[in-house]
Amino acid sequence: MKREGAWRIFANEYNDSNVVIRGTGEKKPSYVITPLGAKINRLFVVGVLTDVESLSGENELLRAHVSDPTGIYTLYSGQFQPDVTATLLNIEIPSFLAFVGKVRIFEPEEGMLYLSVRPEVVYEVDSSARDRWILETCKSTWERINAVRDAMNLSNPSINELVKLGYSRQLSEGVIRAIKSYKNIDVDRYLNSIEEALRYLLPEEEGVLPDEIGIETEEEKHEEKDDMEETVLEIIKEVEGDKGAQWDIIVEKCQQLGMDKDTVEEIISSLMDKGLVYEPVLGMIKTT
Amino acid sequence: MDSEISAYVDEIMSVLGDEGISREDIEKEFKRFIEFGVPPEQAKRSLIRKFGGKKITRKFLKDVKPNEQSINIVCKIITKNTREINVKGETKTIYYGMLADETAVLPFTSWRPDFPAEKGDVVEIRNAYSREWQGTVQINIGERTGIKKLDEGDIPNIQQDVKKCKIKDVYSTFGPIEIEAKILSISEKEVETDGTKKKVFSGVLGDDTGKAQFTAWHDFNLKEGDVVRIKGCYAKFWRGIPQIVFDERSTVDKLKEDISVGSLSVPLHKLVEMRGGIDVTTEGTVIEIKENSGYVERCPECNRLIKNGECSVHGKVKGVADLRLKMIVDDGCAGVSAIANREVTEKLIDMNLSDCKKIIKDGGEEELLDIIRKKLLTKKLRLRGNAFGDEFGTTLIIKEAAVVNVDIQREAQQFLQMVEGER
Repeated sequence: MKREGAWRIFANEYNDSNVVIRGTGEKKPSYVITPLGAKINRLFVVGVLTDVESLSGENELLRAHVSDPTGIYTLYSGQFQPDVTATLLNIEIPSFLAFVGKVRIFEPEEGMLYLSVRPEVVYEVDSSARDRWILETCKSTWERINAVRDAMNLSNPSINELVKLGYSRQLSEGVIRAIKSYKNIDVDRYLNSIEEALRYLLPEEEGVLPDEIGIETEEEKHEEKDDMEETVLEIIKEVEGDKGAQWDIIVEKCQQLGMDKDTVEEIISSLMDKGLVYEPVLGMIKTT
Repeated sequence: MDSEISAYVDEIMSVLGDEGISREDIEKEFKRFIEFGVPPEQAKRSLIRKFGGKKITRKFLKDVKPNEQSINIVCKIITKNTREINVKGETKTIYYGMLADETAVLPFTSWRPDFPAEKGDVVEIRNAYSREWQGTVQINIGERTGIKKLDEGDIPNIQQDVKKCKIKDVYSTFGPIEIEAKILSISEKEVETDGTKKKVFSGVLGDDTGKAQFTAWHDFNLKEGDVVRIKGCYAKFWRGIPQIVFDERSTVDKLKEDISVGSLSVPLHKLVEMRGGIDVTTEGTVIEIKENSGYVERCPECNRLIKNGECSVHGKVKGVADLRLKMIVDDGCAGVSAIANREVTEKLIDMNLSDCKKIIKDGGEEELLDIIRKKLLTKKLRLRGNAFGDEFGTTLIIKEAAVVNVDIQREAQQFLQMVEGER
């Protein structure tokens, strides 16, 4: 069995995925196919560790969140990864964290898919490691965008045609699967992610006075955010049952009110930080 | 139903062509199949197989396209090699090599447990299928493919286009090749084949695109430093490392002009696809450093790693201090295990063995490993060395290594401009 490569993927692309290839048989790997055709079994991420939570008394199962410029990765580490669990329990929060991990696919029922990561190795790094990762991930996202565009331009897209264009076999396989399985691939969404992430690496542009304008817009943003948090919390209360409210339904309801998916996710995690809601099981949100 | 049957019979007749088989016979047999409850599609195939079997149309290799079924060919086995593969945890031997007829030379792979023909035999192959592999049509021989050795007759004028290629291209070129390369090392040994002693010459050769091992089954009076043109040699692979093989049927000319020899530079995932190579250069990020890296002690007798001053073979010994690294280096698409010896390790971590010993004395081996990890994890490395492929992937034995420094702001700026420019 050959070692699987570790993909560089931003959290939003990973979390947007709803196509999986399940390994059958004992040791066959499972894969997540992202909208841009990454065929992931293993990934490598550097981000900010924002929280670690023990889901059972003896620290048998931990949940942690690692954020990148586009979203949040959810990590689960259990008793089979004692080193990872120990590191996560002892690390200061927040800190820069790198992890190599395997895809973790939870599908409680058909059409409901929750993706997280089972880390194999985690280690603390510095901000320059995070910056290097962002740059590398931008480049690899850009390559996937181009592969998807090229595939859509081919009259008869096939794995071999993409390989001939110079893409790796693994990516070519993923892209062909992605263009078959995802109806409308929102390439612009990921182009925006790349641009945002790159700007994040650059110093503030000149001509803007960050202290004046910055403070005002920050305040406005805060007010706006508070309003939205209230709205989202109301929606959660409205739809939640005994076990909580399904993540997807919350997002859908909020989208009807004109919020975009990223904002909703951001708000839910902010509500979690404030302790107003929690996630009893992956994908379910419940008010406290 | 009758009209459906008649449609199927029409189809069968058109496939069989003018074979002198009566329509009534086909229809009668087809109905019998249907009475037995055989699905019509299957009945159709059975009948085509049955009646078509009387006359096999031979296909020329040049006419074989990818993904064809039921290919019948007459050809000569040009080369035959074996490879061990792992299927569901079981080791299986497969055969691969080159086939040729009057029109073309193609690679083949046989998945049968046996392969009842040898190099040089002329065979009839029935019911093979084809696939495309790295841009070339490949003949596949499966469990249901028939191979029959033909005792009589050779295939005249086998078309063996000798392809000129560079070392970097031998990974994807099939059949006889012509290369121009410099002999970098050569040694002689005697082997016994079929009871007769024979001299073989082997070593390493290279051109400006890379290096390969070679084996010459004939004395061409080659010396280290010679620049030669070898026409009609073949590339074989051992653990992914190309071996250029030639004998008295090949033409070897010595050239006057010198050529430069370089390391084969490839993206890391490409190296994993190629499986291996001699003196390759590649780049990737260190994503993991294994526990057994750092300070180790070796047995002075056998160089094995020792634990608590004891060698598993030589018992209590005075260990020889050493440094090493075992890293996973990955480019986002594929990963290799990269192994560094003391010299490379000292350069990469910018500390020598005595520095490391001091650290261990104060803080223990874990402390040293922590320092090494802090220095190297997430860094991008440029690596040069020999790579070997096995069923777990590719291992790179590093000869030279350097950290690639990235100017993040400059690269981010340029990249942003490019992305914005293409919107």
